[in-house]
Amino acid sequence: MKQSYDKWLLLIVLLLILIGLTAVYSSTSVISPDIVEKYRRKGVELSQFGFIKKQLFTVLLGIIAMFIAYKSPLEFLKKMSIPLLVASLVCLILVFTRLGITAGGARRWIRVWPSTFQPSELVKLCMVLFLARYMSMPGYKVDRFLSFAVPVGVMGVFQVVFLKQPDFGAVMSLALLTMSMLFLSGIRVRYLFSLGILGLPVIIKLLSEPYRWKRVVAFLDPWKDAQGSGFQLIQSFIALGSGGLTGVGLGEGKQKLSFLPEVHTDFIFSLIGEELGFIGVVCVALIFFMLFLKGILIARKAMDQFHYYLAFGISMMIAIQAIINFSVVTGMVPTKGLPLPFISYGGSSLIVNMTAVGLLLNVSGAQGRMVKSACGLHINRSEPAGKEPLPAAHGSARTAQCSKWTRGYGYSRYKRRSSGNNKPFGYRG
Amino acid sequence: MKRRSIILSTVIAFGFFAVILRLADIMLLNHQWFLLKAKGQQIKREAIPVKRGVILDRRGRELAINLDTESIYCDPSEIATPDRVASALSNAMNKKPDIILAKLVSKNRFNWIERKVSIEDTQKIKDLRLKGIGFAPDIKRFYPKGSLASHLIGFVGIDNNGLEGVERKFDKYLSARAEKISVLRDARGNSLSEGLSREIKGNNVILTIDEGLQYILEKNLDDAVLHWKAASATAIMMDPYTGEVLAMASRPTFDLNSPADVTAARRRNRAVTDCYEPGSTFKIVVGTAALEEGVVDPDTRLDCSAGYIEVGGKKVKDAHRLGVLTFKEVIQKSSNVGTIKVGLRLGKERIYRYIKKFGFGEKTGFDLPGEVSGWIRSPERWSGTSIGAISIGQEVAVTPLQVLRAYAAIANGGFLVKPHVVSEIRSPAGDVVYKAVSEPDRIFSEKTTNTFRKILKTVTEEGGTATGAAVDGNQVAGKTGTAQLIDPRTKRYSKDKFVSSFVGFVPADEPRIAMIVVIHEPKGSIYGGVVAGPVFKKIASDSLSYLSVPRDDFEEKRLLLVSTRDVK
Repeated sequence: MKQSYDKWLLLIVLLLILIGLTAVYSSTSVISPDIVEKYRRKGVELSQFGFIKKQLFTVLLGIIAMFIAYKSPLEFLKKMSIPLLVASLVCLILVFTRLGITAGGARRWIRVWPSTFQPSELVKLCMVLFLARYMSMPGYKVDRFLSFAVPVGVMGVFQVVFLKQPDFGAVMSLALLTMSMLFLSGIRVRYLFSLGILGLPVIIKLLSEPYRWKRVVAFLDPWKDAQGSGFQLIQSFIALGSGGLTGVGLGEGKQKLSFLPEVHTDFIFSLIGEELGFIGVVCVALIFFMLFLKGILIARKAMDQFHYYLAFGISMMIAIQAIINFSVVTGMVPTKGLPLPFISYGGSSLIVNMTAVGLLLNVSGAQGRMVKSACGLHINRSEPAGKEPLPAAHGSARTAQCSKWTRGYGYSRYKRRSSGNNKPFGYRG
Repeated sequence: MKRRSIILSTVIAFGFFAVILRLADIMLLNHQWFLLKAKGQQIKREAIPVKRGVILDRRGRELAINLDTESIYCDPSEIATPDRVASALSNAMNKKPDIILAKLVSKNRFNWIERKVSIEDTQKIKDLRLKGIGFAPDIKRFYPKGSLASHLIGFVGIDNNGLEGVERKFDKYLSARAEKISVLRDARGNSLSEGLSREIKGNNVILTIDEGLQYILEKNLDDAVLHWKAASATAIMMDPYTGEVLAMASRPTFDLNSPADVTAARRRNRAVTDCYEPGSTFKIVVGTAALEEGVVDPDTRLDCSAGYIEVGGKKVKDAHRLGVLTFKEVIQKSSNVGTIKVGLRLGKERIYRYIKKFGFGEKTGFDLPGEVSGWIRSPERWSGTSIGAISIGQEVAVTPLQVLRAYAAIANGGFLVKPHVVSEIRSPAGDVVYKAVSEPDRIFSEKTTNTFRKILKTVTEEGGTATGAAVDGNQVAGKTGTAQLIDPRTKRYSKDKFVSSFVGFVPADEPRIAMIVVIHEPKGSIYGGVVAGPVFKKIASDSLSYLSVPRDDFEEKRLLLVSTRDVK
């Protein structure tokens, strides 16, 4: 019986990617014949497959990244978490160098031939790794302010850079992610409340930049400026609203015809709503929720704190991003550039999130290995010293499972794993 | 810590739940409202391009077609720098900048700058990317043959409404009512429906004109006008049996693609809009009437040796003194004296009846706008000299078409045909929606027409007035006409202004074409046989070979060949 990794998790993710590919194709394949003709006169042959080809290639890269993340030794990653975080910070700062690309008044991308990369996606994953590592350190004490201040300080560094870009979507998701992970670790709640003070500069920044403030206000009453700041949101509403219960049919959506800006990236959820209706979007939301549940189940079965925090953190990272995206397209929070994981068009988000899922699979696979070691078969792997085992009472179940395992299988399995490559986690994600 | 994880999971679950509630609010509760909004912005009403029907000749050759063009308009409120835009446009369009500027600063929010510009030219302006300048698809009527059959075809106004000729008369068939359809659009207004290729088309008009014959006729008419320095000229070629006009032209003429550049006089279709005194060609009335009434027979001798005849105290002279002539010779040599003598035998009532029988003084019912009826006085208002004058074609006003129709009646054995130029109208799908009907009335017995035909044949023979109209290989039956024009200043017959005409049909015994050539104010010579006859001959011989009409002597030659071989 193959119990090395959580197959359901993989299936859920693949399902989301498939939904994403379908939606990306639907949103980018229809081009007005007038525009095609216009470009043809300029000598550019527009293809309906232009975007989907690129996205398929990204999925391929994502699968490779996921596999590498799955195969990487978690201990090594744990050690590397701080260098990785620093590396992500460097990437983020590269945005301000000549490599950076400015679009829509924000510097969020760096040029990676032949494409672009958004470091903020990588930052989130590295932050989860770092927090998991930090919170599983022996010196981490939930009632010590320093234990709270250090991660918050690290986050603050990133937030400053994000605000400079500016990328308020990243600010919001990173803050939520860090806070929820600190909350998870059991940190004093009053520390978290004190963080509210740090929110002040954000509000000041918002007020100082009228265009940003307008966007904030826009979500409260998009109809006030239907042709300006409220336009995108109204178009998103129209897309979702015209979908109704069952949608207008796959590929039949009309809002993607330049009505809804960024329909294939940040607002792809609206397109799914228009074409597949309420049933479709609820399904997508539920699949994300299942992914989250699957993630925290893996976390609960984790064999040490690092694994636990890592798995929980990744699950939350994806869930938070999904919820923020849903909230943006439904006008519950101000509009911000945040892609829907696995579904939106765009390489950075997809590759990073698939890497994250790879890590999640790695954690779930480590459970299998731990079970083996718990059965006393091949205790070879050095358990991190000083880690209290998780307060999980699965021991009996595991022993029961263990008896079913054939020795030969377990052995060969182990051989393969131990001789497996120790590829460093260096992929750009 | 476990509690915390449960709290967090609950918060996330609540987040998903809130999203679903919000989605239900937008997608289920407000579905109808947003659907309405969606339809409102995704669908636009778009006018389908309306294409006027095309005009074809009898063999399907295009005489009037449509071109896809674009019209350029401006919205002055969107133009920040009218001077710069005007100069840019004037460079691109080759139009004076001040004319453009006036439109750019106009108070109206919509002004045409230029209508119906070719797509290639508008592309140049589009590339300038000027704000406030817009383009609308427009359809331009185009006449590929330029001035050919210009008076017949007519032309259209800027909104493709027929203004002259067939374009005007059959406007309701050719034009199609503009319709609007709902098409899907994207946010930039680009249409997405494939249905754009759909268009409304008017019915196609098929003329009786043959482009080849029309060309032959016009070319020779042009040559004649040039040669005789004529003021104007008209020629009509008709199928004598059906009344189908095969070719019709008037001079001066104009280019259909720029009708506004010429005076209205050039655009007049003189074949039907202008009357003239026919002169000797009108002798057909007295001639046929006398034969039909049995007043004379071809060999009745009439003494014309005096060279003049006095009617109502007024002397009417022959061109040359002729002696005693048979009735046949009277017509052949176009003797005024002889004709008047026959006319006097007929009496004015009978002459008038036959004038009416030929349809003079009434519109022929020709299917083009502007036809006039001509002018014939009723017998009770005739003066003492009238019977003589009318017998030889004076004191009457007729159109060339009426004269031609009278001769066609001789050609076809006694039927008065209805001349027409539109043979049928077909819908874009090909269904016939209009068809010209030809129900000629018999006006003469066949005996009379046969006799008169024989007489007309002698006109182009040795001793006739129009030997110059004889066609090599086919016998021409016809009649010359030379009439003085009335000088508008003196109200008397002018000494030097004449109308020369020749009307006839060919081949005489099996007529394929009936034709009239009228030359106004030729310089150098005045006689119909000299001026108009040769034009007739050239057009007729070219047309007969174009129509592959066998020579009259062809059969005899072949028989001759066969018999000589037999002898051997």
